[in-house]
Amino acid sequence: MIELLGCRKTYPGQAGRPPTLALDSVDLTIRASEFVCVLGPSGCGKTTLLKIVAGLLPVDQGEVRIDGRLVTGTGPDRAFVFQNFALLPWADVVTNIAFGLELRGTAKSEREQRAHALIEAVGLEGFERHYPRQLSGGMQQRVGLARALAVDPQILLMDEPFGSVDAQTRRLLQTDLLALLDRSPKTVLFVTHSVAEAVRLSDRVVLMTPRPGRVHAIVEVGLPRPRPDNLDHFPRYSELKEYLWQQLRDMQQ
Amino acid sequence: MGANMERPPSRLVTSKLSDRSLQTALLRIVPLAIFALGWELVARRLNSLLLPRFSATIAALLQLVTSRPLWEAMWISNQAMVLGFMLASLLGILLGLLIGRWRAAERFLDPYLTILLVTPKSALLPLVIMAAGLGLVSRVLVTFTYAVVVIMVTVRAGVRTIDPDWIEMARSFGASEGQVWRKVLLRGALPAILTGLRLGLARAVTGMIMLELTFIALGLGRLLLGFEEAFDSASLYATVLVIVGEAVVLLSLSERLERRMAPWSGQAMVG
Repeated sequence: MIELLGCRKTYPGQAGRPPTLALDSVDLTIRASEFVCVLGPSGCGKTTLLKIVAGLLPVDQGEVRIDGRLVTGTGPDRAFVFQNFALLPWADVVTNIAFGLELRGTAKSEREQRAHALIEAVGLEGFERHYPRQLSGGMQQRVGLARALAVDPQILLMDEPFGSVDAQTRRLLQTDLLALLDRSPKTVLFVTHSVAEAVRLSDRVVLMTPRPGRVHAIVEVGLPRPRPDNLDHFPRYSELKEYLWQQLRDMQQ
Repeated sequence: MGANMERPPSRLVTSKLSDRSLQTALLRIVPLAIFALGWELVARRLNSLLLPRFSATIAALLQLVTSRPLWEAMWISNQAMVLGFMLASLLGILLGLLIGRWRAAERFLDPYLTILLVTPKSALLPLVIMAAGLGLVSRVLVTFTYAVVVIMVTVRAGVRTIDPDWIEMARSFGASEGQVWRKVLLRGALPAILTGLRLGLARAVTGMIMLELTFIALGLGRLLLGFEEAFDSASLYATVLVIVGEAVVLLSLSERLERRMAPWSGQAMVG
């Protein structure tokens, strides 16, 4: 369980400009094995929120707790999936996937074994010795996802992970992610600016307002799991999308 | 079946490769041969002390490389060069990485780096000699000064190509500062480090010869000055050829090292 209590984050102003308030009094509770999407226009502090939960950024006020323990830094219970993949260009697919394990001092044979298991899980067989620049965007993010899963975290923190791939690849990645989570459930905090993606993937959608980032509303999705392919036929799916769109539009004004 | 299928293509590849290396060898040798021939012809026509004949230069070269003074001079010169270069590599890499990692270090060091970059190094020679005398220390300092800036600047440029996201990614998996340095910064800057070392090596050779020719008549510099005084232009040219030869060997060795140690960088960092 992830709990955010009254979280506030300010970034110091660059070159004499006033500091920006990125997050203000954010309260949020995420249950174990729940899939929560954070949705909001750019500049609403979505990524900041994620990095705070990751322990990459400290809060100015408030606190973050995971299963009751106060978060003071990064931890083996959490793994991050980056928007632009953040793969190491000098390392091949296996080495990239095993990088988190390498940092944690896992023996080479063991981490390669684990990497190979994940290559199969994310569908990258045959690309073990390829370098990132030889892979498409979608495949690169599969490597990023496998790298996060390799350290066997309880919590996946995903920062617009499918934002920079084309629509078709995006659908495939979404489906594969849900299938992976069905097999080994994890708590997922997923940042996106796509309404359809948020509804398609999550149990609850957290709507955030920009400048400063505040929780505007939390919406229960209530669509069946496992998610069927033909979500478009569900009135609830269209209603939710419409409602969230409306909210986002109102926010921009 | 699989093995049978694989054999012919692999043979094809090797023959192609040797074709290409033969081509490269020809491309290198032919201009050299034309150059040598042109040199010989022009020198015969001019018959000047300033331009010894190519054949005379080669004869002098053969005599030089079989004589003791050359190797003594090489030993003395290279001692200072190697020491200065090693010192420059150490400090250049360290400062280059530091500047890349911490903006504060960059703000602090940047003005000095710019000053060093635009200062003609030869202008510093008298100062170094005043401070450190005419001994080994002074010669090491000079080769160091010649090499260090280009190494630092190249390494800094390399560190700048490191995506801050890679560092954040490593930190998200719990990397310590030491791991960030070893597994991201050093590793990512490796192509630039190797390029920097290669460029620094060329500068170190320049610095060594410059100092020996101008202020401390020792080693190869003294050898050159001796031939100059004796108006022995063939030996003078031969000595220059030896120096150029050494530089070429060192540089191609470091280039080979670069390609072996950082194959992923491709052609991106060459130059």
